[in-house]
Amino acid sequence: MIGQLLLNGTVSGLLLALPALAVSLTFGILKFPNFAVGGSLTLGAYAGWVFNTQLGFQIVGASLLAAATVALVSVLLDVAVFGRLREQGSIALMVASMGVSLILENLCRFVFGNATRSLDVDVARPLRWAGLRISHEQIVTAAAVLGCLVLLHLVLRTTPLGRAMRAVADNPTLAAARGIEREVIVRLTWAIIGLLTGLAGVLAAIDRAVEPLVGWSYQIPVFAAAILGGLGSPLGAVLGALAVGLSEELATLVVPTSYRQAVSFAVILLLLLVRSQGLLGARAVRK
Amino acid sequence: MTAYLVTILVIVAIATLVGLALNFQWGCAGLVNFGVAGFVALGAYATALLTPVVGWFAAMLAAAALSALLSVFLALLSIRLADDYLAIVTLGFGEAVRLVLLNEGWLTGGALGIAGIPRPFASLIAPEHADFALLGFAVALVGIVYIILEALVRSPFGRVLRALRDDPVVAASLAKPVLILRIKAFAVGGAVMGLAGAMHAFYMTYIDPSQFTAITTSYAFMAVIAGGRGSNTGLMIGAGTIMLLLEGTRFLKDLIPALDGAQIAALRLGGVGVGIVLLLLLRPQGLLREPQRKAASLLADPERADAADPSLPASHPQEI
Repeated sequence: MIGQLLLNGTVSGLLLALPALAVSLTFGILKFPNFAVGGSLTLGAYAGWVFNTQLGFQIVGASLLAAATVALVSVLLDVAVFGRLREQGSIALMVASMGVSLILENLCRFVFGNATRSLDVDVARPLRWAGLRISHEQIVTAAAVLGCLVLLHLVLRTTPLGRAMRAVADNPTLAAARGIEREVIVRLTWAIIGLLTGLAGVLAAIDRAVEPLVGWSYQIPVFAAAILGGLGSPLGAVLGALAVGLSEELATLVVPTSYRQAVSFAVILLLLLVRSQGLLGARAVRK
Repeated sequence: MTAYLVTILVIVAIATLVGLALNFQWGCAGLVNFGVAGFVALGAYATALLTPVVGWFAAMLAAAALSALLSVFLALLSIRLADDYLAIVTLGFGEAVRLVLLNEGWLTGGALGIAGIPRPFASLIAPEHADFALLGFAVALVGIVYIILEALVRSPFGRVLRALRDDPVVAASLAKPVLILRIKAFAVGGAVMGLAGAMHAFYMTYIDPSQFTAITTSYAFMAVIAGGRGSNTGLMIGAGTIMLLLEGTRFLKDLIPALDGAQIAALRLGGVGVGIVLLLLLRPQGLLREPQRKAASLLADPERADAADPSLPASHPQEI
């Protein structure tokens, strides 16, 4: 029983890890909490659905295309909205990102309606191992997310792009003085953020369903994970996501399942009370 | 037709109250609250539950007090951190309130909500004039709240809030208790949101959790951005215009019959998103710029103060 909960929690935590990483990257490099992540997840889910069921791609191809679509939209949004607001400070960007989230979610609702749809994924019997019930979707999610994390780690740690991104996150002025083009790095960061949220959107669609509010339902857990890890710390975001996923599952032992969504809010409150800088990450206290 | 007009005006009045509250928190004090709907819902439910027991006046006071109390609680937890944390915590709070309202059926009626909420002065007024009387009540409430908030904004308290919104370090170095001031400002806004919720409950006489969603919060943000952050007069104009425009979308169904209900809802909410983004991009200062009250304009002779004014926007870029 506990083992099953731990397994489910780990997998749903892994699912949260990608958007939490996206939030963390936005915060580290662009210095604002990106509330557009909810709308982007929804867009990813619908893009995956269109490529998968309407255009006949296999689920792997459809996921990659959905990720690319959200990446493209994210870069375009930076050109049209976020880039122009960059000088106005983090609050303007934060409110604008909430507006963008509303736009993306309702664009999907306008085109596809409120009906719940599902992806065309082969139904397979869950595996049984050591008394645990491991569904096919869980294996797919875990493999995809872990692959993504390794890839992202390599990009951030070993490539010139990763080094430039870390330099801009650390000190944009110094990075600019060393000849790093901030705008280029920012656009590439948006592309990575889009890829992560787009893929996570498809995984969320496999886990739940394709409907306009699918992204919104992840908004608070994702932010809980990002804060828990210390905003701006990629490794922290992953650990935070695992912790949120596990607490959501384990909380079902003590609170009714209808309060599952409130667990991440409780995690945020508890964290702010006890350790406001998150698991990893710098202290953000201002006064 | 008159009945419809009265309905719209009451809705505009409620939205104006919510907008005034957010304008105080965000426009004046720089505190972003993404949980507006949660605070309004708290006020509405407190009013609905308490009015039959203690009467409408005490119930409204309790609604304001409860909302203010929870504002203080959230502010205490997160306000010493960067702005971003308050936004995230209030967003979570809004969702948590919705879950409690849905799941604690013994108190809130769950998804069915609470019906038959008594209105103030109901026994004194003939039923056919009830909506009209409530409009008068709502307008009076907006007037009172406007006067109080405007007085607060002009008071030393409001001045310090604007100062610490623009630069908390300077305010702190002048020995202003930044933390306490922010908490007070957040509580004032929360109390007004509670009152707006009370008004909502009185008007609808029936409330359920679906009436308090992201839409309530988004409208308030758009009203504040449109009106001009920090300007209460601009906010009233902004909130009025936006609610009239949104009410106008009800007629879209007659104009374009091909649209279904979900599409109209998507157009309304997506339109608010587009409005927020476009206003931030194109007219960040809003309809009416926050009035710049300078000591110099009070002390120096009026002509020189006027001559100095046009340079203000350039030297004081609007801080948001």
